Amino acid sequence: MALIEARGLTKEFRIFRRREGVMGAFRDLFQRDYTTLRAVDGIDFVVAEGEMVGYIGANGAGKSTTIKMLTGILVPTAGSVNVNGFIPYKEREKYTRGIGVVFGQRSQLWWDIAVIESFKLLRRIYNVSQEEFKARLKKFDDILEFGSFLHLPVRKLSLGQRMRCDLTAALLHNPAILFLDEPTIGLDVLGKAKIREFLKEINSESKTTVILTTHDLGDIEALCPRVAIIDKGKMLYDGSVDNLYAQWGHDKMEDIVKKIYEGCKPEQYCMIENWGDTHA
Amino acid sequence: MSKQSGFRQDAANHIIIFFHYMAQYIKTKMAYRADFFIYVFSDLLQQSVNLVFILVIFTKVPAIKGWTRDQILFIYGFFLIPFGLYSGFLNHLFDVPEKYVLEGELDRVLLRPLNAWFQVVVETMNPELLIGTLTGIVIMVYSGNAMGLVPTWWDFPLTLVLVFGATMIYAGVYTFLASLGFWTEGNMGLMPMVYNLSNYGRYPMTIYRGPVRFILTWVLPFAFAGFYPAAILMHRYEYIGYALLTPVIGILSFVFAYRFWVAGIRRYRGTGS
Repeated sequence: MALIEARGLTKEFRIFRRREGVMGAFRDLFQRDYTTLRAVDGIDFVVAEGEMVGYIGANGAGKSTTIKMLTGILVPTAGSVNVNGFIPYKEREKYTRGIGVVFGQRSQLWWDIAVIESFKLLRRIYNVSQEEFKARLKKFDDILEFGSFLHLPVRKLSLGQRMRCDLTAALLHNPAILFLDEPTIGLDVLGKAKIREFLKEINSESKTTVILTTHDLGDIEALCPRVAIIDKGKMLYDGSVDNLYAQWGHDKMEDIVKKIYEGCKPEQYCMIENWGDTHA
Repeated sequence: MSKQSGFRQDAANHIIIFFHYMAQYIKTKMAYRADFFIYVFSDLLQQSVNLVFILVIFTKVPAIKGWTRDQILFIYGFFLIPFGLYSGFLNHLFDVPEKYVLEGELDRVLLRPLNAWFQVVVETMNPELLIGTLTGIVIMVYSGNAMGLVPTWWDFPLTLVLVFGATMIYAGVYTFLASLGFWTEGNMGLMPMVYNLSNYGRYPMTIYRGPVRFILTWVLPFAFAGFYPAAILMHRYEYIGYALLTPVIGILSFVFAYRFWVAGIRRYRGTGS
């Protein structure tokens, strides 16, 4: 059975449009002008155990909203979702025991306490045995090398250091699925390389299923045999990276993705004349 | 596993985690020692000012509407006990609208396998403010002695029940106000107003006019967090009806507020931050 199965997953937000000026603000008091935004529009998304899927899309395409529905933070407006045997939004406390989540933009760790103390607290929250905890910490440290700043509070870490700690924190309880929302955002080349190496290792060794969103296509090329592309809430492509290249008759992902965001289709002529200089 | 034992297990788990959070909190505070002492000092200072205020008034008048200095002190002493518990654990529920809803910190909370309200409370607690509870006990014992009060054996378990009820009233009122933040998506400035009002609970209700008394009893029931329970503990049994209502009002307000909180969380998960 599929580990993640979402059918017709949809999320609508009601956006309150403020009127301009003082009179506008006054009118807003009495009559509010709402528009409905369909952030995720009926997508199907099925992932098997052990897969590593890149999930990409322009800013505001609906990536984060999808991740938030899959992780149980948001309740879908329509459609069905089943992950790891749970309906995420219904059995939140049980479901979250089996997943790990990293948001690149926001740390999951406690700001003021030493990194190791955060880890220890998480060990208690997830009921991880002392032996497993130590073994995992050592294994992660071999690649991520956080030993030197384990005793610093999170607020004193650099972005790269923080991200390595966040990754460790998300994996301490050995989750079946790891969700990563822009895990390499703002990292330097070495930092990215380290994180990619680590994710590869986790995926191949512990069979952890990984879903990652990113704007850095290098992450996809380095890690994900499969890619899903979303735009304006709709799934535009979901399949292997190889197949994507074959469809477009081209092997520069950046070019292809640009075309897709521009609204081109592989069979259309528009993309061929503009392949850009990178290919030449 | 039956549902009942699942719940019990879950509750036990939360209690254990509570102490781990507490241990972490103490470690953090050790890193900011100055902070810790400033907190405790400013809290004690505030209580001293309130105390001196009462003492000064009673150098001018022997009694206020029939209430003596020691009786007023006794009420203040009792008031401080649940108030210290509230300050230590629930005071920062007023962070919810801004920090958790508007800035989206609640996302992180919802990703952990623990109750969301519990997490917010343990993440924002300031247990050093429990010092107020100690001050309260000292004032109660002192003033009780001064008025020649002889406690009966049931006064002690009764005190525990009343303190529990009074703390639940604070928990209820502030959980309710915090939950409003799920709809307003930001602070409405109601919290400071209500906080000020809560201080009226530490004077005899008989000094207020009818409407104020009504509000403090039935709308924002802070009278049950100070005056009514204190009255029965100093054996003014004409208030026994009200005093015994304290745990009932406490549980009712918290249950109602918690339901409102759950509805707020549901809304958040429907609309996002």
